[in-house]
Amino acid sequence: MPASLLGGVQMTQMPIGAVPKKEEEKLKVMKRPNKNIIKDMKKNYSAYLFLLPKLILFTLFIAIPVVWAFFISFQKYKIFGSEFVGLDNYIEVFQSDAFRIALKNTLLFTIVTVPFGVISALVLASLIFELGKISQTLFRSAFYLPTVTSMVIIAMVWRWMYNYDFGLFNYVLGWFGAGPINWLGQSSTALWALIIMQCLIPFGVGIILYLASMGAISQSLYEAARMDGAGKFKQWLYITIPQLKPTTLYLVLLSTIGSFQVFTQIIMMTGGGPGNATETLVHLIYKTGFRDFEFGLAGAQSVVLFVIILIFSVIQFRVLRHDE
Amino acid sequence: MNKRPLDRFNKLIIFLLLSVFAVVSLLPLYWVFSTSLQLSSYQSQDMERPVSYVDSNPPKMYPMGIPLYFEHWGEARKAEKAGDATEEAYHRDMMNHIVSNTFGSFKTLFKKHDVGKWFFNSIYIAVVVTVGILLIDSMAGYVLAKKKFPGRNWIFWIIISTMMIPGQVTLIPLFIMIGNLGLMDTHWALILPDLSMVFGVFLMRQFMYSIPDELLEAAKIDGASEWRTFWTVVLPLAKPGLAALGIFTFMNVWNSFLWPIIVLNTAELYTLPVGLKTLQDANLASFKLLMSGAAVAAIPMIVVFILFQRYFVKGLTLGGVKE
Amino acid sequence: MMKKFWKKSTMSILSLGLAASVLAACGDKEETGNAEEFKGKITIWDGPRWADEDENKFHWMEEKIKEYEAKHDGIKIDLVQVPWAEMGDKLGVSITGKAWPDIAPVDISGSSVNIDHIEQGVIESLDPFFDKEAKKDFYDNALEAYTHDGKLYGIPSSITLHTMLLNLDLFKEAGVEPPKDGKWTYDEFLDTAEKLTFDRDDDGKTDVYGFSTYIMPGYYEAWPFFYKNGGSPLNEDMTEFTFDSPETVQAIQDLADLKLKHKVAPETHGGNDVGGTFQSWANEEQRTVAMQPWATWAIGAAQSTYPTNFMVAEYPSGDSDKPVTIGGVGGWIMMHQKDVNKKAAVADFMKYISSAEEQYTMSQNYGVFPARISAADMEPFKENPEMARAMEMSDQVVMLPRHTEWRKIDEAIQNELQLVFNGEKTAEQAMADAKKAVDKILE
Repeated sequence: MPASLLGGVQMTQMPIGAVPKKEEEKLKVMKRPNKNIIKDMKKNYSAYLFLLPKLILFTLFIAIPVVWAFFISFQKYKIFGSEFVGLDNYIEVFQSDAFRIALKNTLLFTIVTVPFGVISALVLASLIFELGKISQTLFRSAFYLPTVTSMVIIAMVWRWMYNYDFGLFNYVLGWFGAGPINWLGQSSTALWALIIMQCLIPFGVGIILYLASMGAISQSLYEAARMDGAGKFKQWLYITIPQLKPTTLYLVLLSTIGSFQVFTQIIMMTGGGPGNATETLVHLIYKTGFRDFEFGLAGAQSVVLFVIILIFSVIQFRVLRHDE
Repeated sequence: MNKRPLDRFNKLIIFLLLSVFAVVSLLPLYWVFSTSLQLSSYQSQDMERPVSYVDSNPPKMYPMGIPLYFEHWGEARKAEKAGDATEEAYHRDMMNHIVSNTFGSFKTLFKKHDVGKWFFNSIYIAVVVTVGILLIDSMAGYVLAKKKFPGRNWIFWIIISTMMIPGQVTLIPLFIMIGNLGLMDTHWALILPDLSMVFGVFLMRQFMYSIPDELLEAAKIDGASEWRTFWTVVLPLAKPGLAALGIFTFMNVWNSFLWPIIVLNTAELYTLPVGLKTLQDANLASFKLLMSGAAVAAIPMIVVFILFQRYFVKGLTLGGVKE
Repeated sequence: MMKKFWKKSTMSILSLGLAASVLAACGDKEETGNAEEFKGKITIWDGPRWADEDENKFHWMEEKIKEYEAKHDGIKIDLVQVPWAEMGDKLGVSITGKAWPDIAPVDISGSSVNIDHIEQGVIESLDPFFDKEAKKDFYDNALEAYTHDGKLYGIPSSITLHTMLLNLDLFKEAGVEPPKDGKWTYDEFLDTAEKLTFDRDDDGKTDVYGFSTYIMPGYYEAWPFFYKNGGSPLNEDMTEFTFDSPETVQAIQDLADLKLKHKVAPETHGGNDVGGTFQSWANEEQRTVAMQPWATWAIGAAQSTYPTNFMVAEYPSGDSDKPVTIGGVGGWIMMHQKDVNKKAAVADFMKYISSAEEQYTMSQNYGVFPARISAADMEPFKENPEMARAMEMSDQVVMLPRHTEWRKIDEAIQNELQLVFNGEKTAEQAMADAKKAVDKILE
């Protein structure tokens, strides 16, 4: 689950409230008075049977662990009998340099890669949308293909491309008489190397969703704009972009959550180094939990990560939605 | 099209521009395959020492075995015509060397490492989870969408609200639980938590709404049991949704990394991404070998993607965008 | 492929951040069970060792298991194959997850047994199975590595250390004489490195560098250089960080200056690419570095997988005039047992796989020295002068501090070291910063 969710968040998570309007009304109608609840349950026993497998799995492997996670964060974990230490773990989280640096790195990573990813997806999708059907399919695939490839593979090949002596990047830099740069080997460039890599992996989900949303924009809007003499660019700026706002909101949320969880690149390419130049939150959690075995501290770190993601999501939701 | 059709010239410009971007974005993937097939040792008669085109500066942009093979082939033909048997034999030898060297790392990979087992494990786990998720989640999604029973909304919202919680939060408690259940270092440690993913419930519920109530009523009137209705009426109608969910589940499980590196110890039980990490951690692996491993891991997803492309698009847009 | 020692993950064997626990209290009563009475399953972990014709790197252990099972009816031994690179982490994880094996290997680079695990009672004492007489056959430093509070917590099976490997072809090409008997001072070493750095094809780019190594938590190839003027990371009673002493700071700066000032080391010198570093010395198609320090496994690699014309040399001596190296002791440990009879059976099997004959076999095939004197007497390196020379260096070995939090201390130091080698900090700054971090841990 954790690993899958990690990947899953990037690929598949969708807006939670996206229940069709019609259905929402239906739900309201269905609320019944509580009187016959037992009778109702009996009558619908088959429905519960259908739900049972998921409910058992969900309870065991998600619900209990989620609640447990909060307990652990108040404990000092020991193999035989943990002890309750109150807020100690949280205090340590906020006082430790390691966490501060990891947070700073993760924020920088997010602040650069999220806007870049979403904007480039918007631009690419807009360009693709102008083309014919076959070209559309072609480019959509070309930009989505790297997204289905495991980050482990991508990280391995980028590490190779960043290689000081034999890497593609220093070779290309050589054309311009620049470099070579020790990309992953120095604090000043290591994090940026990872950021550049993230930016150059196309945001395939974004492109596909933008394309789908563009297809759904009403023609009449463009016709009206054309009547007013608006050019192509103006139409894009004043109609397409505003109309795509829900998609943009969703994509920003999606990729923010994703990049707060950046991990695979780190463990495969830099291990957080040099020094702690590329330490990120999830890598720190992994290290604290499964190298140092300080489960309580790692638990507190992950709860803090959760809260940060939540705060960011709420802010983004507010900002991008304020005029609706 | 919503705008005035662009003239051909503009379209061409856009096409070219996009092609450049597409090349850049596909380059790393290309580089995986190119390096995995790169010639790592070659010495022709006039060379003082053998060269490796893997660790060469400047890097070679395509497997050098290809042109060199044809070069030797041409030379061999020439020698054959001239009747120079030793010269011909030399070139034939070189051709053999080039072929075996080019594909050599794949052979090493399967012979010296557990790549074959890792490959099987990855497939096996991904298939088990995918099939399980499809069944379990469509059952849950179906009743959550189509049945009215007490607690329905509560159950749904509790399940769905956990989607917002990042996986790292449950990492440690899940680890302790798996340990307590005695499932550490087994494939169950991967399968069970993956089967409890909630995204599919959400997706299938969305999809089940589109099934007309009348059909279900008709089945009921025919006297079909709930299970029968589900199996013969609901599931066939939900095929597109199942396809989308199946693909994403498969992809997620295939690529999952953080959890497997924690719970798997035995090398034989590793999945491909975990195996690739150990391959990279082992000092003596050359980049050609690493990239061959990466290629082996990349190919299945690429094939799945090409075969089921439209379901990917469908899965992404389903529920994500108002239709 | 995975025979690397002295690496990050294995260090977790040395020190896991776990606190003492209840179990320690109940391990006191020493009762020897009867091995004959035990029927059942024993689980053992092992890493890949040397390959047989079928490239199977677990064949040695598989054979031992088969032999043992044939002799002992009713005992079934399960082998779990774990790559060395993951061994330390995995063992720590499985201990935390309460899913430990009965027997686990301590990687040679683990240097010694994990004190923290002992204090938690996760590792069983082997004193009931080894009397004074039985202990006599082991080298003292090997026993010491597995002894805590006067009790033995494992069977030492192999010893290793770090040596300098010199590519003699490159020495010849540059017209440089290798050090006589492999002994040299730091100045001679620097002089040699300068001569070994050259531009083969006159294109203005250096093709061969004199020296390189890497810096990473858990890896100690570079560390003997830091000890050369007589420093050590912690003081005797392990209460104070001492790598910031002037002599150590100078030693660190010296090694970094090979790249930064003297330009006799490549840009990647002091980076974290272990594999890349080895390839640049050993890979036939590269060989761009003439001298590198490695653990003894590399001697085996340079004699088989990467055939190289090389010699083994000592680390150059500094102001202390004494060459120094770092070593480790590999072995077997027994995890907590509930059943006394099983405990006896497990101990019996452990003895079986660490007998003098087995240690002799391992020394011959696996690039390590035996930990038993009787195995060394069988002269495993009669036909291997390079290993023999390396073994002569064993009296130069210094051990790393055996602190329960060593892993964290090590990481704090190595992270700062990386910044010295990429020129971001001077050694003095870096060690001052490391002191702050380490002092916090030592508190």
